[in-house]
Amino acid sequence: MIELQEIHKKFRKELSTGIISLVLLSILAQADEPLYGYQIGKLIGAGSTDSESDMDVVTVKQGAIYPVLRSLESQDLLSSEREMTDSGPPRKYYRITESGEQALKDWIEIWNRTKTFVDSVLGGNYQ
Amino acid sequence: MKTTDVLIQSYLNDLKAALKGADKATVQDAMADAEEHLRTALDSEKEQKEGLEENVALEKIIQDYGEPEEIALAYKDWESSLPTVLAATPAARRTHTSANGKSYPGFFGVFADPRSWGGLVYMLISIVTGTLYFCWAVTGLSTSLAVMILIIGIPITILFLLSVRGLAFLEGRLVEALLGERMPRRASFTDSSLGWIERLKYLLTGKSTWLGLLYMILMLPLGIIYFTLMVTLLSTSVALILSPIPTIFFNVPFMLDFDANHTYILPAWLTLLVSVLGVALATGTLHLARWVGKFHGKFAKALLVE
Repeated sequence: MIELQEIHKKFRKELSTGIISLVLLSILAQADEPLYGYQIGKLIGAGSTDSESDMDVVTVKQGAIYPVLRSLESQDLLSSEREMTDSGPPRKYYRITESGEQALKDWIEIWNRTKTFVDSVLGGNYQ
Repeated sequence: MKTTDVLIQSYLNDLKAALKGADKATVQDAMADAEEHLRTALDSEKEQKEGLEENVALEKIIQDYGEPEEIALAYKDWESSLPTVLAATPAARRTHTSANGKSYPGFFGVFADPRSWGGLVYMLISIVTGTLYFCWAVTGLSTSLAVMILIIGIPITILFLLSVRGLAFLEGRLVEALLGERMPRRASFTDSSLGWIERLKYLLTGKSTWLGLLYMILMLPLGIIYFTLMVTLLSTSVALILSPIPTIFFNVPFMLDFDANHTYILPAWLTLLVSVLGVALATGTLHLARWVGKFHGKFAKALLVE
């Protein structure tokens, strides 16, 4: 049984790699102002352990958001700014760039096509 | 220290242990992200709920953040995805090397390698940055020591040491941009929930404060050496490359003076050979710039990254 859980975990991880980039980019595209990691994590509701089960949706631990944000930044899809806070460490605020918005448009298209394809295979309608 | 600080610190230690083998700069970035998240999350929970059990809330926050091993894995993935040309992470270097068979460019390959040009620019500007760092370090140090006996000496010294840390971070960014050595993306943070005495202790005992100061002082001689080397080699190369022009077009002889009595005049065709020599010297200079850049990157990392 434990083994099966491990397999699920691996499957979820592999599935989430691209999805999380799409989700992060989309959240930042919809935001009116730059957001920092914790806010983004809250918006996604990632890692909410309330519904922890084998069949959890693809979620990402909040800590795993940060390297993805950095990765998107190094591809110039996001830009960031550090701001000091009165208490606690400085926060890194992210916003989407122009090429990020362009990429998002394409990614949504790719996502939609993939979804249609996968659904049709799962529904047995694939020729 | 409060219990929450102990919890955060112990999580950070676990994360650091899990990141063993990753680049030092990646570790520092990961720790900064984790610390930002945990503290921000705790603060905002505290604002929302009066009389919150801080330790219980923090445990939940840490659980949501993810197991250290899991998070470390995500950062290692990120590290290995960094662009290979300028990012000299061990992982990136491995992929770079295996893809091309060799990581070092051929003799003329240095002309196309951004690292050699980065090294060249770095060596040329190091006379300016080196002088500034040195002046700041020596002025700050002597002022701090001189006024130490007065009460005003203490804040001056603290401000000066803080400025050393700030400048060290800035130099790190410059080194990464020009020399391609991965340096921290964020300045190391002193925990503001600690008392000022604790923070002061960290500032005074932290390795990077004093090594940063040493780096700033060493940058003057290094900057002078780098700058002189580059200017001499480049101007010699350019002079050699252009030497056929006066001989061939303006009939000005190319003369070699061995001593007062013996002067040799090169025939025109031989000046073309001198030009080739100039190209070889210029290429050699770029190799040197690339090598010095690599060396200096390692040197800066050893002194500036904790």
